[in-house]
Amino acid sequence: MKALTGNRLDDGEAVFLDHAGGWGEQFVDAQLFEDDDAALAAEAHAKTEITVVVDPYLIDVIPSDSGWAPLSFRERVRALGPTNKPEHGKKTEGGEAIEALLHAHGAARSKGRIELIRRK
Amino acid sequence: MYRYDAIDREMLADRVAEFREQCQRRLSGELTEDQFKRIRLMNGLYLQLHAYMLRIAIPYGALTSKQLRKLAFIAGTYDKGYGHFTTRTNLQLHWIKLKDAPDILEHLAEVGMHAIQTSGNDIRNITADPHAGANAEEVDDPRVWVEALRQWSTFHPEFSFLPRKFKIAVTASPKDRAATKVYDIGLRLHRNAAGELGFEVLVGGGLGRTPYLGPTIREHLPAKSLLSYLQAILRVYNRYGRRDNIWKARIKVLVASLGAEAFAREVEAEWEKTDQAKIDLPDTELARIRAAFAPRDFESLPATSNAFEAAKKDPAFARFARHNVQPHKIAGYAIVDVSLKKPGETPGDCTVAQMLAVADLAERYSMDEARVSYEQNLILPHVRLDDLPAVWRGLDAVELATPNRGLVTDIIACPGLDYCALANARAIPIAQAIARKFADPALAERVGELGIKISGCINACGHHHVGAIGILGVDKKGEEFYQITLGGSAEAEASLGQALGPALPADKVADAVDQMVEVYLRERKGDERFLDTFRRTGLAPFKEAVYADAH
Repeated sequence: MKALTGNRLDDGEAVFLDHAGGWGEQFVDAQLFEDDDAALAAEAHAKTEITVVVDPYLIDVIPSDSGWAPLSFRERVRALGPTNKPEHGKKTEGGEAIEALLHAHGAARSKGRIELIRRK
Repeated sequence: MYRYDAIDREMLADRVAEFREQCQRRLSGELTEDQFKRIRLMNGLYLQLHAYMLRIAIPYGALTSKQLRKLAFIAGTYDKGYGHFTTRTNLQLHWIKLKDAPDILEHLAEVGMHAIQTSGNDIRNITADPHAGANAEEVDDPRVWVEALRQWSTFHPEFSFLPRKFKIAVTASPKDRAATKVYDIGLRLHRNAAGELGFEVLVGGGLGRTPYLGPTIREHLPAKSLLSYLQAILRVYNRYGRRDNIWKARIKVLVASLGAEAFAREVEAEWEKTDQAKIDLPDTELARIRAAFAPRDFESLPATSNAFEAAKKDPAFARFARHNVQPHKIAGYAIVDVSLKKPGETPGDCTVAQMLAVADLAERYSMDEARVSYEQNLILPHVRLDDLPAVWRGLDAVELATPNRGLVTDIIACPGLDYCALANARAIPIAQAIARKFADPALAERVGELGIKISGCINACGHHHVGAIGILGVDKKGEEFYQITLGGSAEAEASLGQALGPALPADKVADAVDQMVEVYLRERKGDERFLDTFRRTGLAPFKEAVYADAH
């Protein structure tokens, strides 16, 4: 299962492609792709939305105890905010979906980081 | 302090206007991200995990109270009320919006500041001894030379597209507070046997994936020849530095592959054919810059202060005085370290209230100057001994009086995976966990001088290679692990750390530091520092303690 993420152009906020084709700030609203071809098509389209989102890329998601969560820790940090500041970032939204992310496990290298280094 | 003149101000105004237009063109889609990325980076604007990050240059780490208040205003207005001082003595704001960036740069320009030379493959913001103009050992004020280099290097067309970024640090004191051994060029100003002012020139130091201590390629360069000689170094680098492989593009790789002697010969040959008089700073220009750093109007004061001595009856103040107050070149004055390392807090972070408090204290008690050190602390360089109790109370009121400069809790940590798009692992929570273990000031004092330095990836922004205890975050199939090195130092007698053993999981790192400190306390002789004990005993006892469970 995959989700599509990037950073919003005007403020840099980490965003996720939602079910309506827009870009939401919370991972819980992300559209999940079971089909790789559909995911790649969504990524290709997102790359044309140059006034909306910067460097969109697909992330792997896994089931957690109560919902889905990004597989890579880096992506969970993006979906929650910095761990050193409880008062900053998306985790301040609270609720079950945030709790699910906070308690999710799983680990994988982040494609976002690999792509960034490749382009550097 | 150097004040921007009409040329500087016009240059900044033009730059802000240009960037404002470029941002508009990006937001409208006229520019693609690939086209815009290089432009925004040239203005210090990075895109990180949660937002844009603006890296603001603080040349030679020096700030007036007006500048510090402006940074506080920007952090409060456009960010989340804090900033992060870095090992390059810059300030990073981690929650910036692209649409606000031009306004922020305009605010910075009002106080002679900017974010130029904080990114890109150019000569980056140049750092210096943060005790410049205040310590008794220096042979000259290094800021004079750094300011000359700043004016020479900013927008220098020949050196704006080097093979890779290029960092220069300058000291004029035998005690190296600028880490000159681990810079692309380290400059150590001294006087030779004939009493002539000159630079020892070190080239090809650096941390990162392949750490090197910079070898000396010239023992004594006449000070007046600085610009032409640096031009020669950069020309050799521009000609032979690798552009095909980012990991081999820094000058340290070129120097190592040619050998320091062969590299030096190339530089000398290039320098010989340079029209040096055309490049080097005319005496009048040097005098103009030097005037900006003329010795301050210090009072004639007794060498001791009754007020200072009486205040030491308070054990908390006495501890602060032992660790965060250092001698000044002028009798009756002191240099005060403002620790941004309260245990449990993020190393280098400073809130708006704290910036404003330091600005007020700098204005009232430190001749309107504050400094940033590469250890991610602030400094009040010119405080009268009589005023130390008041300064301490002012700092304590905003939780900036932690008496730990150079101690085990004075930890360097990069932003790591909590913010940085390049990081493999978090650095800040590791620093917090270690600092909490040694939060008792009496314990930290008993342990003594111990530099712990943490990086969240191999780029080594946290200087882990030169930590007495260095900690490097690595990615093991997506999980955070930490490699420990021991015995590093960025001081005059610099050394690179040696690997302790296999990487540890995050929750074992603070315990491992605790175990290594126990070994040190057991093994130390006399007044040895951790580093001294390690250099005497080697890795074995530390390794045994940390990996005992594994055997």
